[in-house]
Amino acid sequence: MSIATRALSLTVNGKAVGPLQVPETTMMIDFLHEYLNLTGSRMGCGIGVCHACTVILDHPDGRSEEWRTCITGAHFFAGKSVRTIEGHAQRNERGEVVKLTPVQQAFIENFAFQCGYCTPGFVTGTTVLLEELKREPVARADLERVIHSALDRHICRCTGYVRYYEAVRNVVLATPGLVKD
Amino acid sequence: MRRWVRVIVVLAGLGVLAIAVLHFGILERSVVAEELDAPLSSEALGKLAARGRYLVVAADCYACHTYKDGPPWAGGLPMETPFGTIYATNITPDPEHGIGKWTRRDFHRAMRDGIAPGNRHLYPAMPYASYRDLAADDVDAMYAYLLTREPVTRPNVSNDVHFPNNIRALVGAWNIVALRDPEQPDATKSQAWNRGRYLTNALGHCGECHTPRNFMMAMQRDQYLQGGIIEGVEAPDITRDSLAMVGFEPEGLARFMRLGLSPVGSMTGPMFEVVHFSTQYLEDADLTAMATYLLGDPPPAVKPIVPAVVSAKISESGQHTYFALCAGCHGIEGQGVPHVSVPMRTNSSLRIPSSHGFLTSVLHGIAQQEFPGLERMQAMPGFAAHLNDQEIADLATWARAIWGGQGGEVTAAEVAQLRRSR
Repeated sequence: MSIATRALSLTVNGKAVGPLQVPETTMMIDFLHEYLNLTGSRMGCGIGVCHACTVILDHPDGRSEEWRTCITGAHFFAGKSVRTIEGHAQRNERGEVVKLTPVQQAFIENFAFQCGYCTPGFVTGTTVLLEELKREPVARADLERVIHSALDRHICRCTGYVRYYEAVRNVVLATPGLVKD
Repeated sequence: MRRWVRVIVVLAGLGVLAIAVLHFGILERSVVAEELDAPLSSEALGKLAARGRYLVVAADCYACHTYKDGPPWAGGLPMETPFGTIYATNITPDPEHGIGKWTRRDFHRAMRDGIAPGNRHLYPAMPYASYRDLAADDVDAMYAYLLTREPVTRPNVSNDVHFPNNIRALVGAWNIVALRDPEQPDATKSQAWNRGRYLTNALGHCGECHTPRNFMMAMQRDQYLQGGIIEGVEAPDITRDSLAMVGFEPEGLARFMRLGLSPVGSMTGPMFEVVHFSTQYLEDADLTAMATYLLGDPPPAVKPIVPAVVSAKISESGQHTYFALCAGCHGIEGQGVPHVSVPMRTNSSLRIPSSHGFLTSVLHGIAQQEFPGLERMQAMPGFAAHLNDQEIADLATWARAIWGGQGGEVTAAEVAQLRRSR
């Protein structure tokens, strides 16, 4: 039995990838792990609930959106541009991380994670939230609610969310232009 | 000139007379027997209440007469109708806002004639056209049970019905045309079939949603249970042939009503609430009786699905979308994931002539739901923002053909219409 494949080209972390022959039924997380060796996005529940597997889908109009890769086929992303967890921090020419993003830094400073399995998803979700707030700032009074509704779907089993929550609030308040009064 | 004045006066007089005739229900035929004027003793009421509880569940009174998270039985659920918004009323024994002062006869009249005390005509959103078939002693038992509920002092919400339908007496005219005599037992059919018909048509009032309505919003009796659209949701055809086409046999249909889940899919939207509040609590014998009535006695044989022909172009497009956005949960071969998401290859929404339900789910998604027996299904996201009309149409055409055996193309225009309807 042969597996039907299809050529896949897309942009990952700003770099053009493909065309690669990829089975029609391959899920995006398997494509990232097995074809691109980008193993930072986590396979958690495999049914789209825990959100450890999310990546950022960048739309041509500048909007960014979180997508679950464990339940989305790789070919859905054909011609699209995605950012995985590997694409957040700044790296030098040897590929070594030289500077974390404010979101990543805030998670470390707040001891937001313990085992770290959910962290790529939280970084992804928080980054998308920050980009959303940059386009449409919220009133300070609504911030807690907005954080809750943006990240509520991410599951963490170690730290009980409080430190993630505080880290997100800190980074939002420390970034100019995200909150209006 | 004086002649015209006279004509107007006479016409106005006739109008007032007609309204009065309608208001007092003079031309409406009551099915409430005179002996029901006699009140029930408190001892008799006490004995009836337990049975009444079961009947009230079977009639699913709670679903409408309790506002979400509001006090039980105290009313409030808004119902959108083409004539305006109607709010379900307080049916607790509160003497002022509820049914505390209602006599036995008052209750029977409201339930079966659609007329509350003071000749207040109920709007047919209250399914008295179906409850009309209820047996008098069952109505007694329901009355007895409701009187045991906690009284709640909660005023009823005024309906937002526009002129002229806000003239309640006009419902009297509707009653004269739309109401019919109660169904009599059919001696040619089994006891289970007759019990099932009573549970389905009278108590469960399934026909109220599953029957198309005519221009005056009355059930079209000649198309009874052949499916209808209510508040934008399609209640599918549940007549014998349609159920058999979907793949139901009596045992499976009874189980579906108990659990809300089956190989044909999960109960969604308003039907999920029916399972949640009502059918999951029915006795096995009653669910089996309903299945016996709905599928007929004997039931038709289940026919295997023969895939329909679909063009290579649509197949390519539909399958591509399926692998991209659906297969992650519903399985590469449509097999589903137990306890997570329903299979598509046996899904009822693909096996019926109408694609309304399938398209609505793809566009707008399905909320997360908990089912009886600790089962739950995670939320299905809607894809309205991610797929265009043609992509969704192709997905539907392809899936309906290969898994549902339904030929014919779903068009982008159909998708566009349902996209706009939310």
